[in-house]
Amino acid sequence: MNLNRYVVAFAITAAIFGTAFYIASRIDSTRVADIRATGEAISIDLLSSEVQFELLGNLDCETLSAHPILTDELNGLADRLSFTENRLGSDNAEVIQLKKQYSLLEIKDYLLMQQITAKCKTKPVAVLYFYSNTGDCPDCGRMGDVLTYLRQTYPELRVYSFDYNLDLSALQTLIALRKVDGQLPAFIAGTRAPVYGFKSLDEMEKLIPELKTLATTTGATTKAATSTR
Amino acid sequence: MEVGAIGMYICLFMGLYFEVFLLISFLEKRPHAKTAAMPARYPSVAILVPCWNKAKTLGATMHSLLALEYPADRLSILIIDDGSTDGTLAAAQEFAGHAQVRILAKENEGSKFSALNFGLKHTDSELVGCLDADSFVAPDALIEMVKKFESDPNIMAVTPAMKVFEPRTLLERMQSVEYIFGVFYRKMFDNLSAINVLPGPFSFYRRDVFEKIGLFRHAHHTEDMEMAFRLHANRMVIANAHTAVVETKVPTTIGGLVRQRVRWSRGFLENSRDYYYMYFNPRFGHLGLFALPFGLLAFVGGLYTAAWGLYGIVKMLLARGIDFWVTGIPPQFHLPHFEWFYLDTSMLSFLVIAVTGLTLVAVVVGSRIAGSRISATSLVTYFALFGLVAPLWLARATWDTLRAKETGWLV
Repeated sequence: MNLNRYVVAFAITAAIFGTAFYIASRIDSTRVADIRATGEAISIDLLSSEVQFELLGNLDCETLSAHPILTDELNGLADRLSFTENRLGSDNAEVIQLKKQYSLLEIKDYLLMQQITAKCKTKPVAVLYFYSNTGDCPDCGRMGDVLTYLRQTYPELRVYSFDYNLDLSALQTLIALRKVDGQLPAFIAGTRAPVYGFKSLDEMEKLIPELKTLATTTGATTKAATSTR
Repeated sequence: MEVGAIGMYICLFMGLYFEVFLLISFLEKRPHAKTAAMPARYPSVAILVPCWNKAKTLGATMHSLLALEYPADRLSILIIDDGSTDGTLAAAQEFAGHAQVRILAKENEGSKFSALNFGLKHTDSELVGCLDADSFVAPDALIEMVKKFESDPNIMAVTPAMKVFEPRTLLERMQSVEYIFGVFYRKMFDNLSAINVLPGPFSFYRRDVFEKIGLFRHAHHTEDMEMAFRLHANRMVIANAHTAVVETKVPTTIGGLVRQRVRWSRGFLENSRDYYYMYFNPRFGHLGLFALPFGLLAFVGGLYTAAWGLYGIVKMLLARGIDFWVTGIPPQFHLPHFEWFYLDTSMLSFLVIAVTGLTLVAVVVGSRIAGSRISATSLVTYFALFGLVAPLWLARATWDTLRAKETGWLV
């Protein structure tokens, strides 16, 4: 009886496993690169918007409103980042780095939006959402679902989601400025005080009455609804 | 990585290993094509046709047997009516005028083995074959069988290449691909001297077999499997004549299929218990080290995969239901949105693709060995359906076997 066959079969099977692992890893690397490239593109666009804002100086709100800040791009990036985080795990170094980049972009977008709001007297509805996915926030997933649904229903609603535990000084400064303590989930609508704990769809619509002023879409988009988790 | 996924990786590794092992065996020794050579000698042959309520199909089975290209004076056909109540005996009488045909009748004793033994007592032919009365043989199938016996005097039993007779429904098409896969692995098991079942449709034995190791046994309603185990236990060689083609009718309903496979699966478990000493025993070669352990692993792996999949689906539905209840978000139905970024490109997915791909290769090789073509519809049906229905009989057979434990056998 030829026992070599057992060894050869094991080696080939192991090689197939190794190949599957390699291909999956390569595709994950491509994903990470894709997210990084998208983040960099958004970063350039944001910078462009800031420069445009400075150049316009004495306000051309019509021009600004014709080129809205990068909500769709940021949301798309968030969806991809969320998917990648689910694939690679929230403790993956690449994921953490991308989340930091994403959080910074969000903060920059948020600040730019505030400046435009002040000068153009517009009334955008923005929500800062703080979550944790380290297992200490069982309601964060559902809260994310509610915010994602609201964002899809009211395309003009701007939701900025932040991983509360992310080691990023700019984010920690924002947390300190808006006086968010460690109770999660937490969200801040506009300039109001933080609200803590899970809120259902009905409760959210009561807590943010200005949602009624926003246009709605009948069909929610088909993007993955996890980006605000 | 969660524990459940680790189990899946183990199952996939075992599945891949099994297929790779068989493909290595195929590359080492490829099945030869059918030749026009004829046997040097025509031994006397008896074909036993046990029937229990086979009035509808017996005629076609008999016509295929009477069309066998074999000297009429060397071939006898014994119809054994096993206490049928549907007019099988009358259907058999239509062939009473043929000199080769003998018609026997007995009371039903609840299992096929008694009909086979009854027939064995009425013949003294050198070779004895069996054919279920819902199977149909190719005209040259017996010649091919005899040639196989002639090729090696140590061969004591031979199995054929089995195909599904005129598959039409989705369930039959699914089984047709499964049988073609069976043609492949049975031939590879032949290469490994590890054939572990002598199926009812057209398996043949030298008469010496019964004189040396005894007649068929009840064997948990799987006398064909037990006989193969017993032949191995007595160091007798079983071979496969892939050029001897037999077509068989298969269950046409899910219920019928599950009942048939529960019997087979339970037979495998019970006979494995009876012949436990063969497992991992190098004395029994690849049968003990490969064929039997992987047969059991396929059983466990199939059940595990089904349980893992079911658990995932139930968990997801529960979570969705609770989320819907708690969040108040109305149900949303989206058309699938394709974007490469969101494709499932996990290692698990690639391994599933690898297992599926190797299965496909085995089916293609099997179809070439059997000289038949498999339609795309049949292939799609097989890959889509088999994984859904197989757990039904695996679970039922396990359940039945465990219940039998209470009545004695593991106490």
